[in-house]
Amino acid sequence: MMGAGVGSTEARISADRVGKWFGEVIAVNNCTLSVGTGVVGLLGANGAGKSTLFKMLAGLIEPSHGSVRVFGRKLREDVGWYRRVGFCPESDALPGWMTGREFLSLMLRLMGYSKAEVNTRVDLWLDRFELTAAAGRRLDGYSKGMRQKIKLAQALAHDPEVIFLDEPLNGMDPVSRKQSIDLVRELGERGRTVLVSSHILPEVEEMTSQIILIDRGKVLAEGSVTEIRDKIPEHPTTVALASAECRRLAGFLIGQEHVVGVQVETLPEGERVIVRTDHAIGFYRSLPEWILKNNLTVDEILTLDDSLEAVFQYLTE
Amino acid sequence: MMDAMNETDTMNRTSATSAPAPLPSLISIVWIAWFSVREMARRRRLISLGLINLLPVLVVLAIRIWFPGEGITAQMQLAALSHDTFIPFLIPIAAMAVGIPAIGEQVEDGTIVFTWTRPIRRRAIYLGRLFAAQMVATLLMSGSLVLCFVIMVSEGLQVITFEFLKLYLLTFMIIGLGAFTYSALFAAFGTFFKKPVLPAILFAFGWENLVSNIPARVQELSLRFHLQNLVERPPAAPDDLPGLLGALLSTSFKRDPVPEIKSVAILLVVMFLAMLLGTWLLQHKEIEK
Repeated sequence: MMGAGVGSTEARISADRVGKWFGEVIAVNNCTLSVGTGVVGLLGANGAGKSTLFKMLAGLIEPSHGSVRVFGRKLREDVGWYRRVGFCPESDALPGWMTGREFLSLMLRLMGYSKAEVNTRVDLWLDRFELTAAAGRRLDGYSKGMRQKIKLAQALAHDPEVIFLDEPLNGMDPVSRKQSIDLVRELGERGRTVLVSSHILPEVEEMTSQIILIDRGKVLAEGSVTEIRDKIPEHPTTVALASAECRRLAGFLIGQEHVVGVQVETLPEGERVIVRTDHAIGFYRSLPEWILKNNLTVDEILTLDDSLEAVFQYLTE
Repeated sequence: MMDAMNETDTMNRTSATSAPAPLPSLISIVWIAWFSVREMARRRRLISLGLINLLPVLVVLAIRIWFPGEGITAQMQLAALSHDTFIPFLIPIAAMAVGIPAIGEQVEDGTIVFTWTRPIRRRAIYLGRLFAAQMVATLLMSGSLVLCFVIMVSEGLQVITFEFLKLYLLTFMIIGLGAFTYSALFAAFGTFFKKPVLPAILFAFGWENLVSNIPARVQELSLRFHLQNLVERPPAAPDDLPGLLGALLSTSFKRDPVPEIKSVAILLVVMFLAMLLGTWLLQHKEIEK
């Protein structure tokens, strides 16, 4: 699917009709996407092709066709650009014989930092992920959550501008999960490009509203959840409006632009108007004007099915 | 929470504004090799390998205890050990144990992504890990050789003749050359094959065993032949040496020699080609995990 791209500013990550076959299995099929700054979620069920796409973008595997670029370069060939790229793999494999400190130190050493810089950064990031106490322990003794954290730390410790995080929250406890989600959001706010994959929709929803949906190796949609939601005409967005004058509000909304259905729903706590719109962004833009011009009252607006989960479900049906 | 990011931002400003270049290959190779040696040294299989390498020490010790004054000189022992123990047996085993997993294992278990996503050329990663494997294999066998020396010298300082020292240093060189060549070859095996152990065993103990014993030019197609060709022939073994040892010494050197320089050149070329092949394979390798 061709798209305008997700994230803001110019594309730092781009894929042009990229595909990957493993024997007769098509893992990724004709994907085109571009990602600017900010956090973008790569969403798809297990086996959808997220990790393969990630590996191609990060230069770990060569596409069967098409091309991928990061900063306009092929990372596999211009390896110097890895100084500006961080990669956190989905795989749990770590060099278990090393301690956490040794591992982070080596990763930074191989980025070209001096010993003093390495020590400073290692201390900062071990502390950042609350791994200081376990820094002297071998990685094969780390819990799943600790392993995730050290993988994240090695991906971020050199302060990269483009960051690939493949299922970064797997196995984390709720507190670490929350901290990591906050960190990812902060990275986006600081102008980094973060492409984060997950098959758990609420996780992605907490990190970003910018998403790329992938299913069976194909990019189904990209953009904000609301934008994507509007591109599903067979499933108009459902909006609930609480009002003291539900009947009058419903009567007005019938026949308005972007409104394809109106009904008044009676709940134990009172009535509300259920509006079905084929263009949620246009509807939300027009609603304040309608309210003001026609002296209507709306106490609460609630979108019932523009969650990532609903969008994902509709698109993969 | 943001302190770490603020500080790293500041530190990174210089590198972020300059055009990123890969780390110099030599520095990368040294770093990768240093950490790989430490990794290999902590592996359990190194203990088994160390025990296997005690075999020559036990042989020398047995001769020292049970055949003292039987005319088996230290020089003869060294030549026989080099020809019949180190070259056909210990060098291939050590090279297999450290060479096969040197690169292949990291690709297989997925941990290579951490070095692949650094500004390092893949050939530097390959050469760093290979160099580590070659060093570990060489050091293991050198340790065994040093112990042999100690046992031999314990007989008396008269053992240390010029000829003996020359042979002793030559044995070190042969072990180093053999370990470097076989390790380069087995590292390429490990990078190419999904299950490299069987092909490596077939090569080391099938092909090498068979071909190195075929007379005339055919035996030159084995690495073992060229390594054995470098071993200086000891004086003829006395006829009255006890059974197995006598048989070993009298049948060990049946070969059609070629100039030593030719053998060295062939071993170096094989090592170079194997390294070239291995780096090319890694360049095109794809991570599966």
